[in-house]
Amino acid sequence: MTELKTQPRLAPARPKKPTSMLRNALWLFVSLVIVAAFWSVKIKWSALGDFPTQLLKYIGLMLVPPDWSKFGEAFSATILSVQMAWIGTVLGIVVSLPLSFLASRGLAPRVVNAPLRLIFAVIRAVPEVVIAILILSVTGLTPFTGALALAVGSVGTLGKWGYEAFEGVDAGPKEAVRSTGGSTLALIRWGVWPSAAPDVFSFWLYRFEINVRASAILGLIGAGGIGKMLQDNVQFRNWDAVGMLLIVVIAVTMGIDQLSGAVRNRLIHGYWRIPKAAR
Amino acid sequence: MSAGTAGKTGIQVSPAHPGRPVKPRHGAQVGAAVVVLAAITVWAGIGVQINIAAIWENWSNASGNIIQLLQPDYGFFPKVIPALVETLQMAVIATAVGSALSLPLAFLASRATNPRPGLLRATRLVMNIVRAVPDILYAAILVAVVGVGALSGVMALILFNVGIIVKLVSEALDGEDPGALEAALAAGASWPKANRAAMLPQILPSFASQVLYTFELNIRASTVIGLVGAGGLGILIDNVRSFFRYHELSMIILSILALVLVLESVSSALRRKLV
Repeated sequence: MTELKTQPRLAPARPKKPTSMLRNALWLFVSLVIVAAFWSVKIKWSALGDFPTQLLKYIGLMLVPPDWSKFGEAFSATILSVQMAWIGTVLGIVVSLPLSFLASRGLAPRVVNAPLRLIFAVIRAVPEVVIAILILSVTGLTPFTGALALAVGSVGTLGKWGYEAFEGVDAGPKEAVRSTGGSTLALIRWGVWPSAAPDVFSFWLYRFEINVRASAILGLIGAGGIGKMLQDNVQFRNWDAVGMLLIVVIAVTMGIDQLSGAVRNRLIHGYWRIPKAAR
Repeated sequence: MSAGTAGKTGIQVSPAHPGRPVKPRHGAQVGAAVVVLAAITVWAGIGVQINIAAIWENWSNASGNIIQLLQPDYGFFPKVIPALVETLQMAVIATAVGSALSLPLAFLASRATNPRPGLLRATRLVMNIVRAVPDILYAAILVAVVGVGALSGVMALILFNVGIIVKLVSEALDGEDPGALEAALAAGASWPKANRAAMLPQILPSFASQVLYTFELNIRASTVIGLVGAGGLGILIDNVRSFFRYHELSMIILSILALVLVLESVSSALRRKLV
């Protein structure tokens, strides 16, 4: 202490904040893009002026009161969408799991990896509705078409997340299997799968949650479910029926999210609990 | 649970020679799970009317459509450009506004940064509701409220974005190291100041990466919400589809594909820089 007092030193200068040309250029670019988008888009911003009153009016039309007589219809439409999402997810899992092993570096030759990754990327780029329109002519206008479209869409994302998870596992177990002379199948079963499984399960659940939301859209082109009921009632301006649908969709979706969160906790941490974020 | 007891008995039986550890048994649980999952799948399968036979029956008339799809009408491209540009504009605006709204909301929605349990719970409830509504429902309602066009699409996308970004960023905040925050609070900072000084810098890279991810989602979503009249490529898709002009449809799909692949590679390169 005394030593410090007797030899007053200059406080070390505050370190300079590092600046990066690249970062600044990037920020400038992003801001320019945003300004350009606002500038050029064909939107009458003045319409925002009476937005609050209009919104209140429509919320009143929808929810005060909702058309309770439509509860049954809304519930079965929502359940149909959930069923579509489930079948889509199951089919997607069945197809994507073997494919994502084939797409992982080290588990299959590069010649196989690359085209599969490209296919996953292409699928991810196409919205589910467009996929549904494409396969519509093969399967007809049924909920099954919707499920198939969701399945194809799921292959794109699950395939990618799958190979990323498989490539990210710790190298130790893999080396152990290889050094004891294990085949590639043994490598997958004992070296990769045990460490990647919890992640993969949680991707499946996550994709199911996405599919529940995406299935609503598919009704618009005639696959049934939420989208169909939405379109029928918006067309005839039955806003109280739309309000009922809104309530049912929110309740069912939130219920599914909680359930899937609980299952995810069980799979990852080993006990049942509704996730923190939901409470 | 059964894992713990099984492990314990394994140790108690042979304390002298610690042979191979007893494998925890989950047989009954896994069996029950498989039965439940199979039952749900059968129930859902009946609900969506799985019909493999129809695929074979329709194959001949479908093959004609597929051949049409494989021959995109490149002459149609000039008509795609305005819709493509509008889709991009909508995605950019919605991402910018949505992320600006999300940042403070994420701090309100995280246990680590919001000391008031009442406010925390209210924010989370509202955000869960916002996230539970499909984007297409928002779009359909907003088209009625503000009229057909890009504005309703932008607003629907903003709601969609806020739902996603707040969830992902608040979860990231929950997982951050609270040390710096505690230090700031101990030094007498108020909660907002402590969050600003200690948590914000930690969270910015992951926030930026989520924003980029959401932007990619928006490109895809904005092609879809146009189906209910909310602007962008969707309106064009709907027009072309109802007249079965598959050559033009495939041109639209091709341009979506190109746009998404380009943006995705740019954004993943940016994200790798950020994180």
